Amino acid sequence: MSVEVKELPVIKNLSKPSFAAEVRAFWSVVRKEWIIFRRYPSWIIALFIWPIIFPAVYVFTANALAGPNGAGMAIFKNAAGTTDYLGYIAIGTTVWMWQNVVLWAVGFALRNEQLRGTLESNWLTPTWRYNFMLGASVTQLVTMCVFLIVSALEFWLFFGVRYQGNPLLVFLVVLVAIPSIYGLGIAFASLVVTAKEANTFVFLVRGLVMIFCGITYPLSVMPAWMQGVARWLPQTYVIAAMREAALGGATFAELAPDLLVLLGFGAIWLLIGYLMFSIMERQARRTGSIGHY
Amino acid sequence: MNEWAIEAENLVKKFPRRVQTNDKNGGNGAKASRRGLLGKRKETTWLTAVDGVSLQIGRGEIFGLLGPNGAGKSTTIRMLCTLLEPSGGTARINDYDIRTQANLVRQSLGIVLGGERSVYWKLTARENLEYFASLYHIPPEIARKRIDELLKRMNLDERANDLVEKYSSGMKQRVAIARSILANPPVILLDEPTLGLDPQAARGVRELVKELQDEGHTILLTTHYMEEADQLSDRIGIIDQGKIIALDTPAALKERIQHDEVVHLEVSGWHPEMAAELQGLPAVNSLATRYSGQDSLWEVSLQTSNSRSILPGVLERVNSNGTRLVNMNIDKPTLEDVFIHLTGKALRD
Repeated sequence: MSVEVKELPVIKNLSKPSFAAEVRAFWSVVRKEWIIFRRYPSWIIALFIWPIIFPAVYVFTANALAGPNGAGMAIFKNAAGTTDYLGYIAIGTTVWMWQNVVLWAVGFALRNEQLRGTLESNWLTPTWRYNFMLGASVTQLVTMCVFLIVSALEFWLFFGVRYQGNPLLVFLVVLVAIPSIYGLGIAFASLVVTAKEANTFVFLVRGLVMIFCGITYPLSVMPAWMQGVARWLPQTYVIAAMREAALGGATFAELAPDLLVLLGFGAIWLLIGYLMFSIMERQARRTGSIGHY
Repeated sequence: MNEWAIEAENLVKKFPRRVQTNDKNGGNGAKASRRGLLGKRKETTWLTAVDGVSLQIGRGEIFGLLGPNGAGKSTTIRMLCTLLEPSGGTARINDYDIRTQANLVRQSLGIVLGGERSVYWKLTARENLEYFASLYHIPPEIARKRIDELLKRMNLDERANDLVEKYSSGMKQRVAIARSILANPPVILLDEPTLGLDPQAARGVRELVKELQDEGHTILLTTHYMEEADQLSDRIGIIDQGKIIALDTPAALKERIQHDEVVHLEVSGWHPEMAAELQGLPAVNSLATRYSGQDSLWEVSLQTSNSRSILPGVLERVNSNGTRLVNMNIDKPTLEDVFIHLTGKALRD
């Protein structure tokens, strides 16, 4: 049976999606994420308060351990290669906070859509689905750049950290670190959509980074096996390269080995992120889990 | 071009379920059991949510898919819109195969799943539509005109720049429907489009569905509201336990039991054994019960070919053993009664 139809609807998009159309879709995801982010004003508080509160614990602990008139500094210098323990702690904790925020923000990007009830309506569009992940990552990266600048200013103002390196090299380290830090976030996002729970994983990953990557102490104080583990974590190289660039005044040639390792890690983590996303997408089609709370 | 906008061939969906068991070898067609981490034996059983559904829906038709909760309506819709992979069979939407041409299927479909929650409450209606227009790859200049047109059509133009969170449920649902027809797709799937709306908002949605049909769209609609299905649908498919058990026009479905009468009872102190007693009466064809939601009142519908002959027996049984008849009337059958006749349960069970 069929009903008499006056005229069939003319579909407004029935052609092979062009690259330009996919780029427009990607920017729409970035724009949407940014608008929603701005409409939850509590982010401003986090932006200004966190860079002071989190390192403060370690800074005061370090002050206490340094002894009267910094008598313990010689020991620290022998292990860390610098007496600037404030800068040392500030950079280590900033990289940790960066990874932590990426785990929460990028890692929860799809899960938040799922909880809001909007993931299915996104999934039902003909857009390349990886756009949702990349768009959320780019928005987070923009806010993170603001966070890094605010952190650097606050360390200078409140903790008296003095930077000696080339700012362009510091920027280069940040750029090279992005694929590793965000690749982990993307892999994590797929895991969270499948498992519907993330706290355990976040605590595990950030705990690993906190203990093994030397955010407040030199790697040499750890047992040998822990130093071995640290060599397999990209955050170790991000922290080391950032310290050398911002505090040690290292040249590009001195940073190059760490940067190369980081690029390698970045490629691996982006690939892992993409594979996990593809597996999650296939599994969701089989089980219908995309719409499950 | 094929005359059918939607064609489903023997669609099947099975979901695996892990259940604890004592049986070492696994029973009931389950895979052999394995020990889990805590030493408990688990086996995989399969839940068949959709069991060989075949459908053909003509272009420009409104097709109502009716069924109680868990009957397989939403699973069928989710397979048709490519969210779920069928375990067996396939379907074609606008001539595109859901298994092999998923992107073309998504381009041909407008879908409202999850109603008002399917749009962003922290965006305005315009921002929502701009966002989804990009995801549907609609060129920006066409999208701008289309969004203005849809905002006006949905009576949202005056509040287009307010956040959706400030809208009423009816307005949110209109944004969701506007989102689904942004690309002017030939086929629209509406899953419970009036659920939770006040009567006026629901009427607005129903009028809109009719308008969309007039414009040539094919609409597959699932609903709990029998009157809505009756009023809107050209044909209705009744689905129960994953199978289509009846498929016809509303009039033809009602004709199946036109010689029957329906005795509606309101009973206080109802107990389940009473159902068997009433069904045992001669000339009672089917029976369905539903808790009314107040005190201990239950609504009981009895389909019978001869109400006069069964009334004495009904009254005798209902006014005994602590139950009491509160209200009673006799009607001609409605589509809801057809449903009860076919499935043995009320639609909202």
